[in-house]
Amino acid sequence: MTLLRRLFDDRAFATGAVIAGIMILIAVFAPLLTKLAGQDPTTFHNELLDSARGGVPIGRFGGISGEHWLGVEPGTGRDLFARVVYGARVSLGVALSALALQLLIGVGVGVAAGLGGRYADAALSRLTDLTLAFPSLVLAIALLAIVPQNWPRPLLLAVVIALLQWGGTARITRGETLSLKTRDYVAAAQVSGAGPWRVARREILPGLAAPVLTYAALVLPSNMITEAGLSFLGVGVRPPTPSWGQMLSSATTWFRADPMYVFLPGGLLFLTLLAFMLVANGVRRVIDPRQSEVLR
Amino acid sequence: MRRTLPITFALTLLAGALAACQGGGNETSTAAFDPATCQGGTLPVLNQSGITHLDPARLYTSGGGNIPSLLFRTLTTRNRQAGEAGAKPAPDLATDLGTPSDGAKTWTYKLRSDIFFEDGSPITAGDVKYGIERSFAPELPGGAPYLRDWLTGAADYQGPYKQPEGITSIETPDDKTIIFKLSKPEGDFPYLATATQFAPVPKAKDKGADYEKHPVSSGPYMVESYEPKKTLNLVRNPHWSRTSDTLRYACPDRIEVTAGLDSAVINQRLQAGAGADANATTTDANVGPEQLAQLGNGGPLDKQVARGEFPSTTYLAFNTSKKPFDDERVRQALSYAINRTSVVNALGGSAVAGPSTTFLPPQKALGYTPYDYFPAGDAGNAAKAKELLAAAGQSNLSIELSHGNDDSEGIGPKVAAAVQDAFKQAGVTVTLNAIETATYRDVIGKPATQPALALSTWGADWPSGGPFLIPIFDGRQIITAGGNFNLAQYNDPAVNSEIDAINALTDPAAAQARWGALDAKLGKLALVIPLTHEKDVNLFGRNVKNAVPDGWRGQYDLSRVSVK
Repeated sequence: MTLLRRLFDDRAFATGAVIAGIMILIAVFAPLLTKLAGQDPTTFHNELLDSARGGVPIGRFGGISGEHWLGVEPGTGRDLFARVVYGARVSLGVALSALALQLLIGVGVGVAAGLGGRYADAALSRLTDLTLAFPSLVLAIALLAIVPQNWPRPLLLAVVIALLQWGGTARITRGETLSLKTRDYVAAAQVSGAGPWRVARREILPGLAAPVLTYAALVLPSNMITEAGLSFLGVGVRPPTPSWGQMLSSATTWFRADPMYVFLPGGLLFLTLLAFMLVANGVRRVIDPRQSEVLR
Repeated sequence: MRRTLPITFALTLLAGALAACQGGGNETSTAAFDPATCQGGTLPVLNQSGITHLDPARLYTSGGGNIPSLLFRTLTTRNRQAGEAGAKPAPDLATDLGTPSDGAKTWTYKLRSDIFFEDGSPITAGDVKYGIERSFAPELPGGAPYLRDWLTGAADYQGPYKQPEGITSIETPDDKTIIFKLSKPEGDFPYLATATQFAPVPKAKDKGADYEKHPVSSGPYMVESYEPKKTLNLVRNPHWSRTSDTLRYACPDRIEVTAGLDSAVINQRLQAGAGADANATTTDANVGPEQLAQLGNGGPLDKQVARGEFPSTTYLAFNTSKKPFDDERVRQALSYAINRTSVVNALGGSAVAGPSTTFLPPQKALGYTPYDYFPAGDAGNAAKAKELLAAAGQSNLSIELSHGNDDSEGIGPKVAAAVQDAFKQAGVTVTLNAIETATYRDVIGKPATQPALALSTWGADWPSGGPFLIPIFDGRQIITAGGNFNLAQYNDPAVNSEIDAINALTDPAAAQARWGALDAKLGKLALVIPLTHEKDVNLFGRNVKNAVPDGWRGQYDLSRVSVK
């Protein structure tokens, strides 16, 4: 309780948390929200477009109306509210699943490296370095391009992002593990006969919670950016599934004719990233006061 | 016969080039233009791509191209008029369109006497013959495949570097006469003779693959400097004369081509017209939504636009050898279900695309004959489609649609999504299969890898029904090795023999009627679903005069614009 109170005392964190919370709710209840609006994200509405003008929405601000709360997409007439809301699902869903996988791999490798012998440590650390050194965006594009089309795309994105970006987590975990290992209570457990598995689970992992959680809060927005970037480049989720990155990509040719179409996905992405960054900063400051000085 | 390129070429044109009013409306003010006094100034050309090659053997053009035609004169050329009159060939190096004999299997041309290369040496029939022979060399790939198919005994010719004896079916009895012997009647020969492969190449100056660094000019301009894919600067060819060439006005003293620009940037620069950009043109940037919003309301931009139409059709290709498209009712049902308005909007709206219910695009020169056997209306006829699917026992049909992975060629995700939505209304589930655009033609053009349903486009190598219908519907053109365009896998001997019969016609008007009738006959079979035909809207700088789209290519002709 005190922890939460301390967190929410930080106004920046509170703002971020509220926005992030709203975004997550939007993503979770996307089907409900679009039903409420009476729309769906894939139905074309040609009657709402001015075809002679290249397919810009008829009406002000990208065709905003009582039926289409955020207007319609130029060129197709698909409801933007529905697309944005479903886009949040992809964006957050992929980022969170990738994060979970990243933590699983990263923490696993990090703890094993920290607790393992010299050779295990050397091997796993070099492997981590290798992953960190890879130009991950390029590799992700290559990987996503060769995978068969019928694989579930969001899951695939999450796996690829996780596989390419677990290095940071592993490195932090290893460092923490090495320092925790020298603590008296760990040594005590070891001399009383606890095997490495038990030491890792009972003694090390609880101590890792704070730094890893802090780091995770930073990785989440980075995952969102990666997902948006890959979708922007056309190797993300497949149409007609909406995603913010994909919307931004198709909006580039419309930024003067229909500015709303650029601002919506761009603004939402910005807002969500900002919110998660604020949350991350708040968490870091409260949980890990040691590092907050360094990072401020 | 490899025919991988016609489409690519057409698309390149489309992507950037054409403007089109059917009937040749010209919205620019040409009152001040007089070809007699138009000379002077520098003409910048701002392009997205192109100038990858400059060797006449390697260029794949329709009507000799826009930029290439500034350098190369050919036996015949497009006659550079607006509208229908522009869809005809005109004599260029030759004195006439050629004399057919032996039932259009032999074509004889006489060359003009006042034609010279840039070094002042006269152009001979031997130079034209050598230019054609070079285009057969495997070292110089890229040209149109027709000559190899048409010329007697040329199928296995490997070019003059390996076989210096040349092609025996091209005869040059004297310096001013050239005779072509074909293996079958080809009434369209004068159209093909507009291609850059018919440009003269002096054997003494040929440097093989390096020839394109400085190809010897026969046209009004010659190369000053050339950096592939980046810049090409042209200056006047002192040995070209207006009296020998009445079609090219050659107004600017200098032409500077810049490639590698973004189309949005090109259009903004043409619109803003800052500095030298006021004189600028483009041959491959179609307008985007930003400019379309400012067109048609009497604003200043309306005086800086050329609208033309390059004959080209975007369509859905069924592989009728695969289920469920072997069932004609399924093909008909989907033809009813299609929503062409969505496709038009996906391609950029009604200014740049129009709905098509016929495979032939709506140009008279191609033999356009209107028909609409499966009326889908503006929004698709889902009810009729469901009825037909139920009759075929395919009520819960689920199909896969292959398309390119980017929208640059008009067969990408946007169009695919429009098709997907239309079919969904008819209860058909469509999964999309994106294939990388660079390899798209290879995948769908090889029967072993060809998907059952694919988005495709076809553009005219020249304005006639033949090059539009033959590669798509002639059963003898099914090529199993790759480079196949008969995606329907359709082979009907009656259709094949009708094609041969029309090819033998040398009267374009008679051929047009027969091509149109053939298209209408094929349309009943629903082998393809025609989606749209292309329209092209190109901007030019505010000082540019006489930017009139020609009826062959749909874009304004650089050899006829003026910046003075």
